[in-house]
Amino acid sequence: MINENTTLWKRWNELANKYPDKTAIIHWVAGEKPYIWTYSKLLEAANKFSHLVFEKGIKKGEVCAIIMRHNPFFYPLYLGISGIGALPAVLAYPNPRLHPDKFRQGLAGMSQRSGLNHIFTEKDLEPIISPFIESEHSTVKDLFFPLEWNLDSIDLAKNEDKLNSLRDEIKPTDALLLQHSSGTTGIQKPVVLSHQAILQHVNNLAKVLQLDETDKVATWLPLYHDMGLIGCLHTPLAFGIPIIQLDPFEWVIAPVILLEAIHQQKATFCWLPNFAYNIMADKIKDEDLEDISLESVKMFINCSEPVRAESHDKFSKRFLNYGFNPNALGASYAMAETTFAVTQTERNLRAKEIKVDRVKLSQGLVDFNNDSLNFRTCVSSGKIINGCSVKIVDENRVEVSGNLVGEIAVNSVSMFDGYRNYPEKTEAVLDSNGWYYTGDYGFIFENELFVIGRKKDIIIVAGKNIYPEDVEDIVSQVKNVFPGRVVAFGEDDPDLGTEQISVIAETNFTNVAELKKLKMDIIKTAMEVDINIHHVYLVPPRWLIKSSAGKPSRKANKERIMNDNDKQIWSEK
Amino acid sequence: MISERLHKIICSTLGLQEDEVEIKDDTLANQVPGWDSLNHVNVITAIEKDFAVRFKSIEVLKCKNVGDLQKLVDSKINK
Repeated sequence: MINENTTLWKRWNELANKYPDKTAIIHWVAGEKPYIWTYSKLLEAANKFSHLVFEKGIKKGEVCAIIMRHNPFFYPLYLGISGIGALPAVLAYPNPRLHPDKFRQGLAGMSQRSGLNHIFTEKDLEPIISPFIESEHSTVKDLFFPLEWNLDSIDLAKNEDKLNSLRDEIKPTDALLLQHSSGTTGIQKPVVLSHQAILQHVNNLAKVLQLDETDKVATWLPLYHDMGLIGCLHTPLAFGIPIIQLDPFEWVIAPVILLEAIHQQKATFCWLPNFAYNIMADKIKDEDLEDISLESVKMFINCSEPVRAESHDKFSKRFLNYGFNPNALGASYAMAETTFAVTQTERNLRAKEIKVDRVKLSQGLVDFNNDSLNFRTCVSSGKIINGCSVKIVDENRVEVSGNLVGEIAVNSVSMFDGYRNYPEKTEAVLDSNGWYYTGDYGFIFENELFVIGRKKDIIIVAGKNIYPEDVEDIVSQVKNVFPGRVVAFGEDDPDLGTEQISVIAETNFTNVAELKKLKMDIIKTAMEVDINIHHVYLVPPRWLIKSSAGKPSRKANKERIMNDNDKQIWSEK
Repeated sequence: MISERLHKIICSTLGLQEDEVEIKDDTLANQVPGWDSLNHVNVITAIEKDFAVRFKSIEVLKCKNVGDLQKLVDSKINK
């Protein structure tokens, strides 16, 4: 057990003093020699960043956004910011397809909601971000380029006493970091977590995973995502085991690099969203796998997307001949609001699968009648970990019993205190007894949680949450689409093991050439906000079914488009 | 210069009409509608199949734009 009544800065330094030469982070770049941070070197560099950040006038409690590509100096910068009690907030580096105005709009939304105070980024982004800093409503005071700083020219003696007393003032219950829920242009929910929440979570997760000092975590997950930041950076770093961090952009182009890193570094744990199992099973060639062994892996943990039995099956079959142990297929249910994991499957035990009647499941009843031909295989996300409680509730938030499906509600010692500057959203999801209502549907069977769907209409594409409202707003602005007469929804892609974004839009067009052009206009407009629409269905006016509230119903229209061979629907698949 | 054949494969994989999209040497994948990270592997696989060539992952990683991809294809064909 690690001490929970301290700060992360003190914990990291404790490790650096105890194991100065132990590897903390292996920064991986495909085809290059990895950059290795030992605990002592990492904390030495982090301390230098703390001095520089302090000299810039940054104060305890201020939010420092970090927008940076895969770079070895990201880690000491992140640690250095938290080392003066400021809150690092990792934001996604803008995809080049994202229109600068839309990127600034996203920053403005975060700035207003989260109260961003400073931005640390790369020089390349200066022309894009500067106009936002100078705008009237920006809360951001400064733009810094920390990769340009000279760490060797710092006079550490100058502010040492001030920094030490500042660090002594930081309490375990003080805020450590701020992270944003996914979202694109508008809906961002900032979550603030304390040192204690992280440390408690590390202890609880380490216990269930039976982590020991020989373990290593391999990851390509982006650090603006809770699975990457908490699961794969904070947990191993505070526990005292190495992280092998790959570039997400490199992994998605060449998925085999994760397996190369696991093989070369003998990694033991790896968290992945469901689609990654499909990508690796389907897209990695035999010749790329020569000499690769996955024998070292104790667990691949499927998290952040609904876990699919088919994905586990195909991954297991694909890599059986490469030393992969099928019992290493684990799963977890996790979210930023509870710091990270709520449930976790056990070591050396493949995530449990059960077959239930699909029709009854859609009616909210779990029926294990295996004679049914129309069954769905549900995969367990594991047992509830120490410090957490889970209950299944009905629409009135009353706990349901037995084999009933309901909304998953969670309580945790590592619970967030509410969304920052978003009391109405906090009130909607967090009750006075500390229960967080997740918006996910599921059931409990033999003390294990099975997550089967969502109450909310969120589309999860490769582990990234996309709010349909964002997509609908963008598509509504396209010329020749009826504003407000648009529905966005997630369409299952069994090959990729994830959802893809589909859109139904009403238009007056009937000519095929015009419809084709409109489809392209819709796709290109969405690209500007980094949304990739996979399918466009164009329908005539008044085709969309309205809900009782008078708005087009996502559920009803999705069902109609999926089941209807209506000749009025135009699409190119 | 991007060959008609490569242009056609890319468009066909992404469900685009060839005359809808201009692809030049310096075109980046993310400038082509639908060519996102999830579709990238599909595009590469389609190119390999059509030209009957095999790319190593690291070779694909080094391609910064479609022009680089064309050069990679050419280098394989001319071997």
